[in-house]
Amino acid sequence: MANEKDFQKFIELEHGGGGYKSWELIKEIRQILKFKKDWQYLEDDGAVFEKTKIFNKGKIIFTTDGFIVDPIFFPGGDIGKIAVCGTINDLAVMGARPLGISLSIIVEEGFPKSDFKKIISSINKISFEAGVPVVTGDTKVSEKGKIDKIAIITAGIGIAKKIIPNNGVEPGDLIISSGDLGEHGVAILSKRFNYQTKIKSDSKPLNKEIEKVGKYLKACKDPTRGGLSANLVEMAEKSRVKIILEEERLPYKKETIAIAEFLGIDIFSLPSEGRFVAAVSPKNVNKVLKILKKFNKEAKIIGTAKKGRGVFLKTKLSSLRQIEMPRGKLIPRIC
Amino acid sequence: MCLAVPGKIVSVEGKRALVDFGGVKREVNISFVKAKAGDYINVHAGFAIQKIPIKEALETLKLSGKINYQKEILGKINQIALKIKRKVYLMEVCGTLTQQIARYGIRNLMPKNVKLITGPGCPVCITPQEDVIAVLNLALSGIPVATYGDAVGLLENSFYGTNLKGKELKIFSVYSLEDALNIKKQFPDLVFFAIGFETTAPMTAHIIKKGLTVFSAHRLFLPAMEVLTKIDNLKIDGFLCPGHVSTITGVKPYRKLKSHLVITGFEVSDILTGIYLLLKQIKEGRKEVENQYSRSVQEEGNFRAYKSIFEVFDVVDSNWRGLGIIPKSGLEIKKKFWQQNAKVKYKKILEKNPSFSFKKTACQCGEVIWGLKSPKDCPLFRKICRPENPVGPCMVSIEGACNVEFRYGK
Repeated sequence: MANEKDFQKFIELEHGGGGYKSWELIKEIRQILKFKKDWQYLEDDGAVFEKTKIFNKGKIIFTTDGFIVDPIFFPGGDIGKIAVCGTINDLAVMGARPLGISLSIIVEEGFPKSDFKKIISSINKISFEAGVPVVTGDTKVSEKGKIDKIAIITAGIGIAKKIIPNNGVEPGDLIISSGDLGEHGVAILSKRFNYQTKIKSDSKPLNKEIEKVGKYLKACKDPTRGGLSANLVEMAEKSRVKIILEEERLPYKKETIAIAEFLGIDIFSLPSEGRFVAAVSPKNVNKVLKILKKFNKEAKIIGTAKKGRGVFLKTKLSSLRQIEMPRGKLIPRIC
Repeated sequence: MCLAVPGKIVSVEGKRALVDFGGVKREVNISFVKAKAGDYINVHAGFAIQKIPIKEALETLKLSGKINYQKEILGKINQIALKIKRKVYLMEVCGTLTQQIARYGIRNLMPKNVKLITGPGCPVCITPQEDVIAVLNLALSGIPVATYGDAVGLLENSFYGTNLKGKELKIFSVYSLEDALNIKKQFPDLVFFAIGFETTAPMTAHIIKKGLTVFSAHRLFLPAMEVLTKIDNLKIDGFLCPGHVSTITGVKPYRKLKSHLVITGFEVSDILTGIYLLLKQIKEGRKEVENQYSRSVQEEGNFRAYKSIFEVFDVVDSNWRGLGIIPKSGLEIKKKFWQQNAKVKYKKILEKNPSFSFKKTACQCGEVIWGLKSPKDCPLFRKICRPENPVGPCMVSIEGACNVEFRYGK
């Protein structure tokens, strides 16, 4: 018979039952999530933000996101890290300063406790680095087999002086990328299909870099699910412009190109979890890139906006081909 | 899917090598080549199919970025097309060529009188309905099935077209046959649905010898190529022939065909050179086979791999979607290996009438595959039939003519 200690190594249904074991688990989570910043009543049913004065200076932005990923641990991160980054980044690309995020976890019965703690620690670490606290949350345990390991649902709240829309691109604007793209996708795929590569997930919070350049960005998005193609097609359509990418300036590393080729995957659909693409007017572009290069030396111009519709790739041979939103089956569950 | 770029062997252990493709490494089975660390190899579905001379491999890696060279060939294509003075139709008979031509916008770069038409190069597309029905029948009887990624799409899609929706079948997608052997450890009854031409057939032969049960839908490319050169209402002047199939078969079997033929590699400069060589043949009135892809394709091919096909398979007449029976164009597992032949092993299941039916649609895949119709001629194309809701196999496969036309055609 397994002894008491062995049982404690795994999450049990009781941990989500609302009784003593739940209380104990929540206490353990709170011990790890220490970063609180401007929030109070953190052990109550809801968190309280008392610095209400800052709300007079801007608009409140509210967002939510859900995360399932296979594998849950991958080179360069884990599901906890991308949950925090994803939520912060959704606020950041709107031009908002993130104030706090919520964290709901649904975990499968029998999930290793050590992995659970590893995920919570990773959440704490990245929330501290980004300066955005996790202020409220919930944990539920699902019967074995009814959920695949773990799912995380977040919400985030932020404040913005000026909203950066996704439809503000004008003809003549330059399209920039904050770094090389698709590396989160590569990290997940290489683990899943047994490739060895030095590339790690690009997941990271973007709030600090966007805060520095936000006032120059006319439109901004982060290319997560759907990758660059989904981002640009949406931006172009909503802004009623044509975007032309140049093959010679594509923001992909040779390893990313190789793995996309190998698996027959459209490189433009590979997701990133810590990059953004934006439209900037030509007069500001050098300023913006100079700042962004301090965060990531691969930040660069990848294309231009013109009058017209659609997104096109200008190949090295000067032929044009249209880039569409990814269609059909997407790579399942990689972010 | 064929890879344009050769990989470099990092280390070898028995029949397995760790291979570096531009910074990404993977294990590859090297049963069909003699290779050591430092050698460059061409890889297809997890198997090395040919060793590439180092000098030429390095040149390929360099060439892929040489724009001036590509522009120079384009210039030559324009010049010679002017001299031909009539409309010329060229057909690529290889799924990867179809993809590459679309990806690099090569169609738009052609002179006005040169048209590129897609032919039957995608193995998923030419696999006939009865094979799909048979394999689905096996899966419905609870037998686990594994196959290459795109063929999973074929099975699943047929599934949506039928009244099978919601049934839980065990269908696994593999990149390499080695993956199938691993799945077999967990599911000993596993059947591999083997599709593809001379390129993948040696791998299936290899794995049958290792005890994997296989449903063979393998087809031989060369008999189909011969038929293509003889279809009366197909107005094609010359053919771009597949690099990886030819890597196995060699140039020799092409010599009896009477047409303008160029075996072509997958880099942009390879494809442009292939087109130029075809136009030159047409201009000069020569009907022969030329080998543009000589760094991988030799006169005798990869004899070790080619020979191994016929150790395990008998050549039989077989049905191709859209065209019907082509004599001596299919591969059936020899009697000697009947225990690995799903068609024999599960005869009783396969003889039963399927418990499902396919919807009849206006899908024109049969004619699209053979270049007799363009995807745009199909009433379903773009309207009902889309990559997210494919009706026929040409939309299911990412190498299929309709799928490629949908994604890159505008």
